[in-house]
Amino acid sequence: MSARAENLVKAFGGLVVAWIVGLGISEGLAAYGVAHWPLLGSVQAHITADATIYLIWQAVAIYVLVGGTIVYCAIRFRARPGESGPPAYQRRYFGPFVIFWLVMSIAINLANTIYPGMVGLEQLWGIQLKTKHPLVVDVTAQQWKWTFSYPKQGITDVSKLVVPVGRTIDFVLRTKDVMHDFWVPAWGVKKDVIPNEIRHLYVTPTVLGSTKTNPMIRVQCSLICGNGHPMMRAPVEVLTKAAFKTWVSNNSF
Amino acid sequence: MATTDVQGRAAGGAGGGGQPFVWSMVLPMVRAGLFGFIGYFAAAWITAMVTHTVIVNPLPATLGYVFGLLGWLAGSGIWSGWIRRAFGGEEAPSLTGVERYFQFSSDPKATAVRYVIFNVAAFLFAGLAAMAIRIELLTPNSTSWWLSEVHYNMTFGIHGVVMLLAVAASVIVGGMGYYLLPIMLGARTVIYPRLLGLSWWLLPPAAVAVFLSPLIGGFQTGWWGYPPLAQNSGSGIVFYTLGAATLLASSVLGALNIIGTIVYMRAKGMSLGRVPMFVWGLFAAATILIVEAPATFTGTLMDLSDMILGSHFYTGPTGIPLAYDDQFWWLFHPEVYVFALPAFALWLEILPAAAQRPLFARNWAIAGLLGVSMVGAMLGVHHYFTAVSAERMPIFMTITETVSIPTGFVFLAALGTLWGGRLKLSSPVLLSLMAMMNFLIGGLTGIFNADVPADFQLHNTYWVVAHFHYTILGAVIFSWLAGLYWWFPKVTGRMVNEFWAKFHAWWFFVFFNMTFFPMFILGIEGMNRRVAVYLPYLHPLNEFVSISAFFLGAGFLIPAANLYFSWRSGKKASQNPWGSKSLEWHSPSPTPYIVFPEGSEVTVVGPNDNYADGAPEPFVWAPTTAGK
Repeated sequence: MSARAENLVKAFGGLVVAWIVGLGISEGLAAYGVAHWPLLGSVQAHITADATIYLIWQAVAIYVLVGGTIVYCAIRFRARPGESGPPAYQRRYFGPFVIFWLVMSIAINLANTIYPGMVGLEQLWGIQLKTKHPLVVDVTAQQWKWTFSYPKQGITDVSKLVVPVGRTIDFVLRTKDVMHDFWVPAWGVKKDVIPNEIRHLYVTPTVLGSTKTNPMIRVQCSLICGNGHPMMRAPVEVLTKAAFKTWVSNNSF
Repeated sequence: MATTDVQGRAAGGAGGGGQPFVWSMVLPMVRAGLFGFIGYFAAAWITAMVTHTVIVNPLPATLGYVFGLLGWLAGSGIWSGWIRRAFGGEEAPSLTGVERYFQFSSDPKATAVRYVIFNVAAFLFAGLAAMAIRIELLTPNSTSWWLSEVHYNMTFGIHGVVMLLAVAASVIVGGMGYYLLPIMLGARTVIYPRLLGLSWWLLPPAAVAVFLSPLIGGFQTGWWGYPPLAQNSGSGIVFYTLGAATLLASSVLGALNIIGTIVYMRAKGMSLGRVPMFVWGLFAAATILIVEAPATFTGTLMDLSDMILGSHFYTGPTGIPLAYDDQFWWLFHPEVYVFALPAFALWLEILPAAAQRPLFARNWAIAGLLGVSMVGAMLGVHHYFTAVSAERMPIFMTITETVSIPTGFVFLAALGTLWGGRLKLSSPVLLSLMAMMNFLIGGLTGIFNADVPADFQLHNTYWVVAHFHYTILGAVIFSWLAGLYWWFPKVTGRMVNEFWAKFHAWWFFVFFNMTFFPMFILGIEGMNRRVAVYLPYLHPLNEFVSISAFFLGAGFLIPAANLYFSWRSGKKASQNPWGSKSLEWHSPSPTPYIVFPEGSEVTVVGPNDNYADGAPEPFVWAPTTAGK
């Protein structure tokens, strides 16, 4: 083995050590972040957060492997004082590296499309298909407020969203003026509300609470809709099934 | 003929010569401004009179803009420099001295320098808008002594439009691309030099209109201009749609030049395999503009038509607002590749010279650039997964994720070039490496938005804000500075101050990451985009972001001062200070008016990145024979 090749093999050994150290530190930090994840208040929130968290593990690993190599090369292969002229290593191509890179990037892409992409979508769609009798809530967006109606319960035009825990809700989204977006951060999904169209969003709340106990449980417009956009919120309360029944009987007519 | 002989001759007789700067040379710019002003107010006022309305209404503002633009162009020297001759008038004067920087000129180098000045000015004002945004967000409540919600919305709209279309779209393509494109290909000019000159003169009125939109009522839509909000929230949307359309038109004129020049103006022996990487990047970007700009351009004008002509494409009970989203993102997603591809190519241009190694896996890198421009044409829908029907999600998710494969080839080539090299870490190289690190974060976080389930939660939150600032500010603007420093000697004949260049590179890298990384966390914690008011639980992190942003913003004074003082009194540059083998370094610094001396032509005989000891010269010079 020539001296030059030996040096590059040694350099690669150093890179592997750098990778291991970098992966340990970065994935550790990511684990800390994931452990402090905000409230996941619905079945759907768990599906979308699973996707996000899986992609975080993956992104951190790729960042360390690729970015770490950039940093390592900049240090290891810098021009040291007294060195001048081109280095001896002048190869334009190294087949195994290129093929490995190509195979890996295609494989990761395919894998990501299947999980968390299609798997997550199938789960979300599955809930929608399986739900025979959802609680229907009509949501009307307008500049800059939300109103909610419960057609089957005979409750119309309330400004607070009250829902039972553990039951799938079919939010029927309409707007009176411009585009809006219906989003409860704790429920982990959002849907645009488009003029002249009707959209559905299925959510199954799993955590009791209200906007007062956790600000993640709030309706928030999430598509720019004019001056009042940031204030276009509505309070939310997730009740037990019994408490929801009481609320319905107190508010219907 | 050896290269050195030709260089000896290039110095004499080929320079710009002409007179030194005198203030009267600025006159055409003043005249253009005056004509534009008169055109605007005459047209707006007459329209208002005729239609019995006031001049801030949408229709007078539209006609005012059109005639203001025409007045500005008429005053810029286009009449004497171009049009007069078409009507049988005198030949255009040849401007070879300083005066060509201040009026319409067909010299691509002067046009490119004007691009840099314009980009710096636009970046300054749009950057100040960003600072205003961060002051507002220091506190969760509406800040009465600062911006109201209305002004806040106008501010981020202006920040977005100007940063994207007047800065990012032309910093590398305009300021560096138009300067280097002919030189790198061995041509003396671009294929349509006057169209290229025109492309610059379209920019200032458009940017000024966007900045002044609050004077006629501003716009509330952000840089998207989504109907029907666009039509019911202020006349300023007129300046937004017309400004965006004008800036797009300017980009398309440049793109025509790039593609035409590459196809028709390459020197003898400059086969496609030997075209420099930076030019490949420009080509990939220009392809996107040519193919995708028309649909988006039309959408912008249809949006305007709904505003001023009473049409109902997107508004009213029969309008289809989502059709606008389709048209808008048709170009404006790939537009981010128009910003990024030249930056990728710039890294691959700089790194071989810095590491004294040939570019690794060159064909894969070219495939990567072209692959991004092709795949990138088909994925705009990922900007509104929350609005489209379920059937459209899998295909656009898949295509969006696929774009990471060709993007990866750029990193593959860069890593392979660094490996085993002898890297001189000059300031442009440092900035390029930092841009790569930032882009890596920007690209990897994009996968979350491509993945539909994750996007349902992260869409329109600060996650997205962080993601695209990593790609555009973190990668494109870092690369812009890298390019400015790398080619500064070619343009000014002087070197930038290396200490201050490296100092602010680190300053940026630290404060950039401190500003934007916490925004990922803000997004996960439920902070949505485009809000002047947010809930108190998000306050501590926002305060941290704002203070970091002020340091980041203030830091931009360092390169501004460094570029100015280096231009005035920097160290004189040699012809080829970086030891690059690319063609632009074969003419003196600064580049003379006629880049390659008369009477000789370059022939390319080998790859321009062969840095091995004793490698043959890639270029030889032969006496011109064509046309004799």
